[in-house]
Amino acid sequence: MNYFYSHLIEIDSVFEQLDKMGLSNEEKLHLGQLLDSSLHHTILDAILSELSDSDKRAFMQHLSEGKHDQIWKFLNEKAIGVEDKIKKVAKDLKQELYEDIREAHKIK
Amino acid sequence: MQFISQKPHFEYLRKKWTSRHKATQDKFWEKHGGALKQVAIGSLGGLMLLTPTKLPTVQTPLFASRDDVLKGYDKNVLLAQSLSEKVPQDVAPLEKQQENDLTDTLSKDFGFKVTAQINSIRLSRNYGLIGGEQHLARYPGDTLYDHADTSVDWAKYGSSGMAPGLGAWGYFATSKNQFDETAKQREKYYLAIQTFLAPGFAENVAEYRDFFKFRKMLVVNPHTGQAVVAVIADAGPAEFTGKHLGGSPEVMDGLGLADGPRKGAVLYFFIDDPKNQVPLGPVKVTARLAQL
Repeated sequence: MNYFYSHLIEIDSVFEQLDKMGLSNEEKLHLGQLLDSSLHHTILDAILSELSDSDKRAFMQHLSEGKHDQIWKFLNEKAIGVEDKIKKVAKDLKQELYEDIREAHKIK
Repeated sequence: MQFISQKPHFEYLRKKWTSRHKATQDKFWEKHGGALKQVAIGSLGGLMLLTPTKLPTVQTPLFASRDDVLKGYDKNVLLAQSLSEKVPQDVAPLEKQQENDLTDTLSKDFGFKVTAQINSIRLSRNYGLIGGEQHLARYPGDTLYDHADTSVDWAKYGSSGMAPGLGAWGYFATSKNQFDETAKQREKYYLAIQTFLAPGFAENVAEYRDFFKFRKMLVVNPHTGQAVVAVIADAGPAEFTGKHLGGSPEVMDGLGLADGPRKGAVLYFFIDDPKNQVPLGPVKVTARLAQL
């Protein structure tokens, strides 16, 4: 599934690190689900924090309809510069994930 | 997902990331749950990954997971029942009557025209064994990791790897800058078809090559009713393999054949879609059959 923010997020490097851990497909899928959902919550939190309550509801409605153009049109009007914020929170989360993976390697 | 891992480094990550996931969820709903209580959500769309822990009216599944394959199974199971009476026991080329019967059934059930022949061109068979293929390079410099939009994509499809060579028609786009959604979907849902065995191929190579390039097809797993709309983007497999066509990792997943031997019997027909109105990807039967 392609998310409206996918083009702003670089997460390949996390996959590369995980691929070095000798995980089974099931294990990869489990971690992948946690990663995707954590990232999704983190990014939506960053966006919603920029919006009023009524705009939050309007945004969620756009999100539920899945039309990326409409989502970005709305965000460009209501939350100027939110792309940078999305990139930043994703980068911060990724950094935390790297550190976790580094610690996991020590246990291996 | 219920499974046990004996790997301590995986267990460490699992616990750590589960804990972080829960904390992220709690924070999200604590901050925004009040405002979102009143949201009337029509479809899930981008909410698939939103996991309400305490609140509210938005009831969504926990994850988009491997279980999502079964969504197609549930609705298409009636199709499987219908096909069980029409598909021969042996995986052999279909008789003309069987072919007509099946294309009629599939056309009605899916709501678009399914046919074994277009412009007098047909394949050597329409019922055969499909095997799992690797990803294809989509543009110069493409990498396996670039194929994944999400971590789940990576987990589900990454292990298939990327073929060392290109598809029969080369790259899907001439450069990363030219790479668009159409090209992306074509690689995602591609088939390798034994186009070289099509009657008349040897005498009309150029015409057939152009005809088959990104030709849209419907592939159906007759045992489950799972079906995928895909395009021809490669030629193969070789006859000695015993397989008759190949499917991308996403196609195999959509057909319910991604696990185990990654092989199974499928029906495959052209879709007559001159206006390009049928989207690629897993497809469900229309209401007509579901109402039976």
